Amino acid sequence: MSSILFYILALVALLGAAGVILAKSPMGSVISLLGTFFALAVIYLLAGFQFLAAAQILVYAGAILVLFLFVIMLLNLGAMGSRFELSFAPLQGGRARLAGAIAVALALVGLIAAQRTTLAATPATAPDAKAIDGLEGIALELFGRYSLPFQAVSVLLLATMVAVIVLAKRQRAGEHGEEPR
Amino acid sequence: MEDFVKELPVWVLWVAKVAIIFGGLVATAALMSLAERKVSAWMQYRHGPNRVGPFGLLQPLADGIKFIFKEELIPAGANKFLFRLAPALAAIPAMMTIAVIPIGTIQIGETKIPFSIAQVDLGIMYMLALGGLSVYGAILGGWASNSKYSLLGGLRASAQMISYELTLILSILVVVALSGSLDLGAIVEAQRVNGLWNVFTPFGALAFVLFTIASFAETNRHPFDFAECEPELVGGFHTEYSAMRFALFFLGEYCAMTVMACLNTTLFFGGPSVPFWANAPWYVGILAFLIKAGFFLFLFIWVRWTLPRFRFDQLMRLGWKVALPIALANLLVVGAWVAFSTKGS
Repeated sequence: MSSILFYILALVALLGAAGVILAKSPMGSVISLLGTFFALAVIYLLAGFQFLAAAQILVYAGAILVLFLFVIMLLNLGAMGSRFELSFAPLQGGRARLAGAIAVALALVGLIAAQRTTLAATPATAPDAKAIDGLEGIALELFGRYSLPFQAVSVLLLATMVAVIVLAKRQRAGEHGEEPR
Repeated sequence: MEDFVKELPVWVLWVAKVAIIFGGLVATAALMSLAERKVSAWMQYRHGPNRVGPFGLLQPLADGIKFIFKEELIPAGANKFLFRLAPALAAIPAMMTIAVIPIGTIQIGETKIPFSIAQVDLGIMYMLALGGLSVYGAILGGWASNSKYSLLGGLRASAQMISYELTLILSILVVVALSGSLDLGAIVEAQRVNGLWNVFTPFGALAFVLFTIASFAETNRHPFDFAECEPELVGGFHTEYSAMRFALFFLGEYCAMTVMACLNTTLFFGGPSVPFWANAPWYVGILAFLIKAGFFLFLFIWVRWTLPRFRFDQLMRLGWKVALPIALANLLVVGAWVAFSTKGS
């Protein structure tokens, strides 16, 4: 039962992911991404990770995608028309092929790595889903063993934010014919 | 009676609870549409609806029938799929969030039955995750309508929701830190054991004020109802909607208000606990919960017909420059207080 459900959800997630890059309008992409996020959240639920599922919906569907929608509506990017339309233009051209090849290679590396680590982990060392999913388990892992990577990621986000502000400011200064300071 | 309840199959209890709580929510939402008109009439020295049924009590029913039989219009150039989907997206998450609210405990003989649809360890996460989705109705409805006013309404809804969700979550986290659990039932229990509602603790009081402000913004209510601000945007995101789809947006809004009132009661006012009466019978507890939630529902209406609407930039300034820093500082102090006060024990 749950494995059938998993394959259905995986299919939905993949179709949504394909829709993100194939949809003609940005709004279509966002709706497809929403579908993918929900399918992933239910897969987490099936695996017993309730917190992860709730966090997935809360953070990605509830906050980040709303921000995307805000930007799309603010810029009023292209009307979608009365139904979803797909465009296969992103899949054509030499650059797209190169990018696709790199992405497939990276995905393969990830899959092989995942396969090796799950094979290497005996049931004794494999983390117990219940232990990880408990809030305390997550907190201990996040602020204990992984506290340095966790902080590094937040610094990365901060750096990205600063970079975006600098770039946006420079562009605006250029528009008004001023030299960036 | 007790033996009879014990012998019932489990699913009977589930169905009964879902029917009572869900039906109660929808009925409350319908009655709120009447209460809104009645209270506004009372405040403005008018009568309000009083023709259908005693005191106009059947007015929501008449409205419902009217909405069902009205003609539905879909504007030209609208995205039909999203246009039809949006009202459902506005109503369903708001209705689903009621499932984890602990309304009390039903006691028959020695058997205790928790009076809530689901007792979830991560109840607050569930509520926040689903509650955050209710804005999709306004955004997608506004976008799919292919109209300037709707688009602006949807745009405002998304900006407002992102701004105030942070304050809302941070003020809820204060309660979580004080109670040490994400389970709403455990939060009520912690307040009962301490004999102190969270609103009477200094941090809790501040969090309560912030939570109430943010809940007005989250439910799109006055003085923050910019997504449907009539003088500027005609009807905002639902300008192009008619008949039952329009009514669904309202049902969603009133359901969200009801859930927020219940959540406020649960987080800050001890849920079903009765002050100075620790061993109150279970029905008094449920009654206490309903009275407290009813007060917060009245507060929504009271504020709407008392305060003028903000300006959008004022809303953003209040959200980002006042409410958010205070909420962050509050959480920081609570965190420190909890960490140092529990260290010794």
